[in-house]
Amino acid sequence: MHSAALVTTTPAGTDPVIALSGVARRFNGLWAVRDVSMVVPAGSILGLIGPSGSGKTTTVRMLTGTLRPTHGEVRVLGEDPQRFSVRTRERIAYMPQLFSLYPDLTARENVGFVAALYGISWFGRGSRIQRALTLVDLWEARNRRASDLSGGMQRRLELACAIVHDPQVLFIDEPTAGVDPMLRRAIWDELRGMRDEGRTLLVTTQYVAEAEYCDRVALLADGHLIALDAPAQLRRSVYGGDVLQVVAEQPIDPQLVADVAEVIAVQQPEARRLIVTATQAGTATPRLSEAFRAAGVELVSIEEYQPSFDDVFTELVRRQRAAREEAEASADG
Amino acid sequence: MGDLWRSLVRVTSFSGKELRETLRRPGMLFALVLGPFLIMLIFGLGYTGHRQPFATEIVIPPGSTLPRDPEFYQELAPGRIAVTAVTDDRDAALQRLEELDIDLVVVAPEDAIEQLRAGEQAEIVVAWNQVDPVYDGLARLAVSTMVSALNAEIIRQAAAEGIDLAASELGPRVENLSADVIAEPTTAETENVAPTEPSVLNFFGPAVLALVIQHLAVTLSALSMVRERLSGQVDLFRVAPVNAIEVLTGKYVAFALLSLFVTAVVGALMIFVLEVPLLSGYLTAMLIVLLLTFAALGVGLLISLVADSERMAVQLSMLVLLASVFFSGFVLPVQDFIGPVQYLSYALPVTHGIATLQDAMLRGTLTDPWMLAALAGIGVVLYLASLLRMRAILRGAT
Repeated sequence: MHSAALVTTTPAGTDPVIALSGVARRFNGLWAVRDVSMVVPAGSILGLIGPSGSGKTTTVRMLTGTLRPTHGEVRVLGEDPQRFSVRTRERIAYMPQLFSLYPDLTARENVGFVAALYGISWFGRGSRIQRALTLVDLWEARNRRASDLSGGMQRRLELACAIVHDPQVLFIDEPTAGVDPMLRRAIWDELRGMRDEGRTLLVTTQYVAEAEYCDRVALLADGHLIALDAPAQLRRSVYGGDVLQVVAEQPIDPQLVADVAEVIAVQQPEARRLIVTATQAGTATPRLSEAFRAAGVELVSIEEYQPSFDDVFTELVRRQRAAREEAEASADG
Repeated sequence: MGDLWRSLVRVTSFSGKELRETLRRPGMLFALVLGPFLIMLIFGLGYTGHRQPFATEIVIPPGSTLPRDPEFYQELAPGRIAVTAVTDDRDAALQRLEELDIDLVVVAPEDAIEQLRAGEQAEIVVAWNQVDPVYDGLARLAVSTMVSALNAEIIRQAAAEGIDLAASELGPRVENLSADVIAEPTTAETENVAPTEPSVLNFFGPAVLALVIQHLAVTLSALSMVRERLSGQVDLFRVAPVNAIEVLTGKYVAFALLSLFVTAVVGALMIFVLEVPLLSGYLTAMLIVLLLTFAALGVGLLISLVADSERMAVQLSMLVLLASVFFSGFVLPVQDFIGPVQYLSYALPVTHGIATLQDAMLRGTLTDPWMLAALAGIGVVLYLASLLRMRAILRGAT
């Protein structure tokens, strides 16, 4: 099984906060999620990334217990989401994809309502509401009705609602959808801040570039989990090693670096620029410099290159689809 | 204790939220409080309860000895008919009836006294032109009253003639005979022993109040849950540590408080401004209002839990209102319906609300105390049905 190979273990001595094993979900004969297995260790952000319809929300809904898997096993804080105890529910937060607050209530009242839902009494509620609204920079707007807030403020308000009861695990569905880039960055800063406080977050997004903000990334496409790793490792897995960018004063002959032992592949997007994949950037860099000096090429720069996650994701999806087609062809043959 | 406290906090979260959301719409609240009172005020002041008398033409054939003075016939059925003309042209009168210029035509017999003397029944022809069953019934009543009076008049004339004849032949033995006594040997002394004076406002006041309570409770609650289901808030409840009893109880408390507040205001205006009596005292009335509110909230919440859109919830609420107007005894007595339809009537909380409130306010006692138990029963059944549905929504993963 493809996805089984992607399962990673948690650091020694820690139980996974979230675990899925061979989970699949079918709607009217169509598979929305297929055979997904993964674990999320405590105190980390797992980004569930994929285009619309890739199965992200379905996965989150199975994790929160609002959808039953067609098969497979789901565990959150060691419990089956279908049978969450009250205590476990009190440790979980869910921020749905769609705006689900009360437009006639103020920001403060909305957060207060959710706090009360989690059993926080009147006495301790005020400070928690203030803390949650301050964290998402909405304290000044606390007395404005939710309907009067901008789209971005509404998403932040929902985030405040999600964190007001100080949850241990947060399932956050598309927090940055329809939000401008500046605010997206701010929201991710807040999410990372929560991670730093020891919370575990599972965040879905369709913005592939946001993989950068996650500790680990699960890439979903067509309901398949096609990759699960740290962002840097995902890059390595696509390019087969570290990627370096070489820029010179004059046009470069790619053959100059072909003999360097660490070099795996060379691309030349421009005459004066090379993209070199090497087994180890640290050892390859001085050898590449030496090879260029020996050939009389004057270098402008030689540095580690970060290919965009759009490229990484596109390549991973391409490979996964090719592998599937190959498997289907061999099955037919 | 901690769990119970948390549960109470969750219940109040829903109550508070519903109250705030409703109070944020002052226009709606204003309409809820003043609207019913104004409708009742206009109804009470504008509706006299007196139907217009039927415009009637009397046709007296040319050879008849009956009087031709319209005033004479007007007195036969006072208030029920308005004699517009006494004529001898039967065809013209019937033509005017056909064209709806008049409501009734009464054709007197050509020579009723002669026929009476001959031992034959004279025929009074009465014609009307009504498609409204209520007016048809009233026309029959007016006709019956008038024909009885006309019969009495004919007997009176014949008797007077006979007494004169007998007196001349038999002397003092018939002196005590009176044509009036022969024509109408009995008179009625009437008395309504009801503890309150019947009036349109008094009678319909409690009924309108009951209908307002039910409609208010159904309308307020019917939209609440369907909106939360459609806009995704219910997804939050599914994940949160909240259970169906807490959600339902929170909503019941909020809507009951709102309904009782509006009822108190409308009731106070009705009693102190419109002076509708309250003979039973406040406790009985409050008990009825509480039970009616409880049952009606069950109707609304069940609607909100089964409707799959706000439009459907509104339509179902309007259907309940329509059924309530027709089958609750508000307009037509429940007893006038056939058996199976009466079951429908008694399934509506407002049927019991109208009957018990009218009894309590106008008679000071409950003639059918079982109706209170029926209200409580309907409320409990609907609460349990709502609870089951809510539980399925919250914990029944698809």
